[in-house]
Amino acid sequence: MNHLDDDAELYALGLTGRERDAEIEAHLAGCEPCRRRVVAAESAAASLAAALPPMPAATARRTWWPALATAASLVFATTAAYEGIAANAASSQLARTDGALVAIAGSHFGHTTLTSDSGTIAKAIYARDGSWCYVLVSGAPRGAHVVLHAGATTRDAGALEGATPATLFLRTPGRSDEIDIVAGDHVVAHGKPLY
Amino acid sequence: MALDEPAFDLAYRAHAARLRAVAYDILRDRDAAEDAVHGALVRVWSTGAYHPERGALLAFLIACVRREALDALRSIKRRRLREARAGADAPVAVDDIAAIDPIEARRVRRALDALPEPQRDVIVRAYFGHRTLAEVAADTSLPLGTVKSRLSAALRSLHTSLSEGTP
Repeated sequence: MNHLDDDAELYALGLTGRERDAEIEAHLAGCEPCRRRVVAAESAAASLAAALPPMPAATARRTWWPALATAASLVFATTAAYEGIAANAASSQLARTDGALVAIAGSHFGHTTLTSDSGTIAKAIYARDGSWCYVLVSGAPRGAHVVLHAGATTRDAGALEGATPATLFLRTPGRSDEIDIVAGDHVVAHGKPLY
Repeated sequence: MALDEPAFDLAYRAHAARLRAVAYDILRDRDAAEDAVHGALVRVWSTGAYHPERGALLAFLIACVRREALDALRSIKRRRLREARAGADAPVAVDDIAAIDPIEARRVRRALDALPEPQRDVIVRAYFGHRTLAEVAADTSLPLGTVKSRLSAALRSLHTSLSEGTP
């Protein structure tokens, strides 16, 4: 394949399309000059991203409390305590996925693709210390459950939530030997975490 | 570097807000933005696509999140909705005050202002207006090849001026 030329910058801007992206990524694996050019382009594109406004927090229900919160913040604004309160308010707005991402970001984790039926794609991301496990499943029957095996213990950890992918974030008491995705009494995906 | 090393955790923790901002700017929907960030991270983890020679992790992740979000934008019909809201000639979305990194935003604004107008126009349309190459060509009545070469030149100029470290 020829060098990427202008496509290096267009790729960094996300303008090349998945099909061409795959060709570009294959080329990058073996071409140092093009890789350097893409790295430079991505660095410039990342600077552009810094100029974007942050994602707004989840919209609170319109009730009387924002006024109270404003008043409270005025009272506390002069004290260092304010920062703690603001942080609490922000963390109370964390969505289900945020909780998972925060845990993932804060620990050492591994990941494994679960062996599954055709049509089901399942992946588990798990803490090395066994303290949590995050399961993502695409194409599983609705209401599928996550079942964890540890030694002689089998635990139904609950139903997957949402769709495309359905996910379940679990705080776990320790490392699991095996993770199953179960629909009815049929195991649609299974895998072993490697700690 | 393995992806599960602490460097990855730290980079993610430090820059999650920026990754979300990238996705949200494109999708204008919190859930869809979270999904795009998620999708990109899982893709990176599962393919092991990142190696140090691919440059700074943040820039790499931003590019991945942007691709993921643009994909979502194009595959979901949300696009039409967004266009109705934003219009094709949205003003430059470089707002120093509202920016996720105000100091960097100021540098970016200066670098954008320093570009030749034809380059600035295409990069603003494509990056901040989320237009495809074909759409930029149609909007500007330029041949597709010209749009591509101008965008490429614009990003190279930006890289040069931004890496010069002007205060």
